[in-house]
Order: sequence, then C-alpha cells, then structure tokens
Amino acid sequence: MAGAAVQRRVVRVLLVEDEEIHRVLARALLKSSAVGGGVELDEAGNGAEAVRRVREGGAGAYDLIITDRQMPVMDGHEATRQIRALGVTTPIVGLSSDCRPLDVDAFLEAGADDFTPKPLSKEKLNHILAKFNLA
Amino acid sequence: MAAAALREQLNTLISSMFASGMVDEQFQQLQMLQDDGGTPGFVAEVVTLFCDDADRIISELAALLEQPVVDFDKVDAYVHQLKGSSASVGAQKVKFTCLQFRQLCQDKNRDGCIMALAVVRNEFYDLRNKFQTMLQLEQQIQAQQ
Repeated sequence: MAGAAVQRRVVRVLLVEDEEIHRVLARALLKSSAVGGGVELDEAGNGAEAVRRVREGGAGAYDLIITDRQMPVMDGHEATRQIRALGVTTPIVGLSSDCRPLDVDAFLEAGADDFTPKPLSKEKLNHILAKFNLA
Repeated sequence: MAAAALREQLNTLISSMFASGMVDEQFQQLQMLQDDGGTPGFVAEVVTLFCDDADRIISELAALLEQPVVDFDKVDAYVHQLKGSSASVGAQKVKFTCLQFRQLCQDKNRDGCIMALAVVRNEFYDLRNKFQTMLQLEQQIQAQQ
C-alpha cells in the first residue's frame, strides 16, 4: 500500500509572544492540532528576537509565523515588516485582542498574510493551518 | 468526602460559573484541551498564570491611577494586557469590564478609570475565589484516585 501512503511532514511554527499565558495556550493548541506529522514549535518573546531567529534560520526556517502585536523591544508590526524586508515569504498571521478593522489593516499593511483575534482557539488555529495548506 | 460527591460539588461550581457569566466557552475549551490532550494540570496552569497576571496588573493600575498626573497610555497598555489574559482563560466578566475600562482610558477619564478599576478588582476577586475552590476540589478528587 506504499502508493496510498500519506506524507506526514512536521510543520515548523514560530510563535512570537511575550506573555506566558498566551504561549501556554498556543503550545497546547498546536500540540492538539490537526497537523498529521506534528508541530515543531519555536518561540520568541518579542519582535526583535523573532527577526533574529528568522535571519539566522534562513528563509525556509519556518512554515508559519504567528505573532502578537503589543510586545516589549519590538512590536509585531515592526517584526513583520523586518521579516518581509529579509525577503522571507513564510505565512505570517497577526494575533491581537484588538480586532477593529484598523488593527487588522495595520498588520496586513506591515506584510502579514492574515489576522486572527485573541484568544487563539482550536477552530481558529485549524482555519489558519488549512488556509496555508499546513494541516 | 467521597470522590463522587466531590466531583458533583465541582461540577455544580463550574456550572454556576458558566450560568453567572463569570466564564465563557473559552474556559470550556481549556477543559477540553486538558481532557482530550491528556495534559493533567493544564487548566490549573492557565488559571494560576491568569490570577498571577491579574493580581500584578491590578496593583500596577492602582499605583498609576494614584499619580498626580496619570499616564493614560500606560494604563491602557495594562488594561489591554488584562483583557488578553482574561480572554485566554475565558474570564468573561473581567474581559467585558476591561473593554469599558479602555474606553475610559481613551477618554482620559480619571474618575471613570478609578471606578472601572474597582469593578474589575471585585470581579477578579470573585472569580479567583471560585477558581481557588475549583482547584482545591480537583486536588481532593485526585488525592482519592
């Protein structure tokens, strides 16, 4: 039945979030997500750390980047802009509890591919994974 | 008390928290993640993080609002943080009060902010008491298993 075998690849996710409560929730959701091969999660506590990790890892280091907006050192908008300036095309999803149209537009204008309001949930995560063909 | 009676007491407590609007479906999601993911202690971890965050933020807000000149941007940033934390644990009443609190920050309404802080503090203390009882019951149930 080799022909029927389904390729199950590991999805590499960079989570950019400064608050532990949101990281704990995201970890649990990613662990229980619909990704067949599992998720390899990397975490950055602010935007500058995220930019450094992406720069060091190279353009293909991650399959998905999920970033908070309000963080110390560098916010999610600036991190998104700097990651795009590196020529990285990895899907970036902005995450914030502020979800007015102007909050969404600010992320998209910075170069994010999508936006989802906090809190992250199983449904929202599965939607993101499906949208970028990662599930 | 027998485990079954403790379990019933726990279920009644959680049902009352949902019925009174203290918690919403996000809290249910945490419970499902714990049960389905086989991660015992997950709800306790998130609840503890929330209580620690909220306690710290409420103290910071009280100090900021006591200043002769209030930095409303800082107040707003803390309320934003509390709103995010409360949304993650499903603390619905706290989250809704934070939404009103932020509007008062944007209006630079000091008296309104002081009143909103009192409301958010009371709601948080009520919820924390319930969470503490819930975690104690869970520990007692586990000890009997």
